[in-house]
Amino acid sequence: MNPLTVEEKTKAFALPKKAEVVEKQKLNVRYHVEDGLVIEDRPRRFLEAMAAILKHTNYRFALDHYIRTSAKCSRCATNCQIYETTGDLKDIPCNRSELLLSVYRRHFTVAGMLKGRLTNDPGLTDEKIEEMADSFYNCTACRRCTLECPAGIDHGLITHLGRYILGLIGISPRALVVSTREQLVGQTKNTSAIPVPALLDTIEFLEEEMAETKGVEVKFPVDVEGAKYLFIAPVSDFLMEAESLMGIACVMKATGDSWTIGTKNYDAINYGLFYSDHILEKVLNQMEEEAKRLNVKAILIGECGHASRSAKYFYNQFAKDFPLPVVNILEYTQAALASGKLKFDTEIIQERVTYHDPCNIARPGWVVEQPREIIRAFIKDFREMTPNRRENICCGGGGGTVSLDEVRSYRTLIGGRRKAEQIEATGAQYVIAPCANCKKQLRELIEDNKLGCELVGLHDLIYKALILSPDGVAWHEPAEMVM
Amino acid sequence: MEAWLEFGRGPLFRFCLVILILGLLRSVVLSLYGMNEALRRAGDKIVPWSDLTNKTFQWLIPVTRLFRKRPVYSAISFIWHIGVILVPLFLSAHVLLLFANGIGIHWWPEFPQRIADLMTLITVIMGILLFLGRVSSRESRFLSRFQDYAWVPLITLTFLTGGLCANLNLSAGSYQFSMLLHVYSADLILMLIPFTKVAHCVLLPMSQYISGVAWKFPKNAGDRVAETIGKEGMPV
Ligand code: SF4
Repeated sequence: MNPLTVEEKTKAFALPKKAEVVEKQKLNVRYHVEDGLVIEDRPRRFLEAMAAILKHTNYRFALDHYIRTSAKCSRCATNCQIYETTGDLKDIPCNRSELLLSVYRRHFTVAGMLKGRLTNDPGLTDEKIEEMADSFYNCTACRRCTLECPAGIDHGLITHLGRYILGLIGISPRALVVSTREQLVGQTKNTSAIPVPALLDTIEFLEEEMAETKGVEVKFPVDVEGAKYLFIAPVSDFLMEAESLMGIACVMKATGDSWTIGTKNYDAINYGLFYSDHILEKVLNQMEEEAKRLNVKAILIGECGHASRSAKYFYNQFAKDFPLPVVNILEYTQAALASGKLKFDTEIIQERVTYHDPCNIARPGWVVEQPREIIRAFIKDFREMTPNRRENICCGGGGGTVSLDEVRSYRTLIGGRRKAEQIEATGAQYVIAPCANCKKQLRELIEDNKLGCELVGLHDLIYKALILSPDGVAWHEPAEMVM
Repeated sequence: MEAWLEFGRGPLFRFCLVILILGLLRSVVLSLYGMNEALRRAGDKIVPWSDLTNKTFQWLIPVTRLFRKRPVYSAISFIWHIGVILVPLFLSAHVLLLFANGIGIHWWPEFPQRIADLMTLITVIMGILLFLGRVSSRESRFLSRFQDYAWVPLITLTFLTGGLCANLNLSAGSYQFSMLLHVYSADLILMLIPFTKVAHCVLLPMSQYISGVAWKFPKNAGDRVAETIGKEGMPV
């Protein structure tokens, strides 16, 4: 790996905030936090929040187990793209976890409390909270380190918990909080604040576009009660990923399954996964309401890693009375392919293609082979990155950090550096990333590192190659997709 | 000296063994109980058991992925663990003295002396290398607490003295002293295991399951947390 230059380092770690703000918020971190942050008594409030969480949730037994088993072998240091890039010892996953585990040991175990008293240890301080606030958002929550922990410690879980506690005392990235507020209590009920008329306009436009380029009428069904699938994409796709959406619509057309977009809830984004279990639950409950209103049989999530993971692993945990299976679109398309419903023009994609595994769907081993099967069906020159599949390296924008524009240079110079090198090594012209977050991050990564390739969704290419037209041609003219 | 030795091998050994067993039992029970409670409270009970089982064996019998990263360090640690687990249990002297005379277990397989000696020697060498590995690695030094430095030398000392005692030609003059060191350091080890990271000897098989189950959340916990800290009705 190329070492960081001093210039890059300065740029990546530059504090994008005014000194007065840092002073006022007593928070020396690179991301912005909402105004009006309470700074008094931070340690006490942190501990109260932590105590409340430990009381009502399931984290405590894991923390207990972790403090007994953590062997400090430093093996995780070999598997964190952040540490590998910065070389800063503080970025070793085990150390990141220790920040919170030490608070747990000191304030929530008898031995720790006794020891603290005997040694006059002041316990949790403002500085330590600041350190956690910084560290837990330097981490992309990609959970790659957990693969290398012989003791089985899930460092991603600890980052997840740490962010939840911090969130309860107001320390969460502003970009995430503001979007979530719009999604839960705002007018438009989605993170990009797209009102229903604008959504319908976009859909109409996409339908016209598809009719033109594919020569067939393809619809985005809206509010169809009793449909089999409720399709929910990360809402930003309607602004930025038109081709992914059109590819999906074409696949649905080819299979003939009934599906629908719901106008009461059309946003699968769930920033709760990144900073608050409470919000994770609320957003999923909102999804459940819509599924129930339209009386669907399953939930189909678009190209999005974190949205898929939140729905797949948490929808049913939090479901009030309408449990449903959750399907990711790649699973769906692969099943359609396997049953012979998709016909591709195998000549259309001549470029070399590589595939980026989004952490949230690949790490659990859930969506790993499906996209590869699809790719092999119509792409000739496919080159894997190494490592790949469950062992993939994060794009560098995981854990919600991609939404923080203020840390862009950190993301593209530090977080994504290993990814950039991986991509370059494949020599691919197209990088596929079936995830809204990875897409944004990788585009910026490609731009900032001048990689000279193009980032696409898998369904963008499917859109080009899928044959729907009566004349057997996949792609009539390369459409200019600007909205 | 003889009396001290008898004490260390007899009552103290039995006491330490009781601490060891009770202490480890406590940890295991707490972890199992915690896991059970978590599952009981969880919104759904779907856990990827087979995946977690695979991961568990990946690290319990670490031959598939251990050597992919840091192969040398991994090999040292791997051999070390084998020695540390097997030698104390199947050494003929232990079988006779401790298990038969000390706690009354008479059926127990044992290693031939030559093999035990060789394994002891290898373990001692691995111990030294492991310790050097820890102090020479910048990352390990940064993470290490006192116990992380102390464990390997303590165990190595026990092996070294044990090996000396088993070979009278080597320890002729200092047999008693070596034995004393051996017995007391071993007792110390037994007693400390449950309270330190070496508890992983019984906790490790549960770790992956615990990490898996910890992602199972109870319904409405967020509301209850918010209520407890006086923030009800304001999730955002
Ligand atoms: S979760 Fe990813 S970014 Fe965070 S410490 Fe682990 S490997 Fe590093």
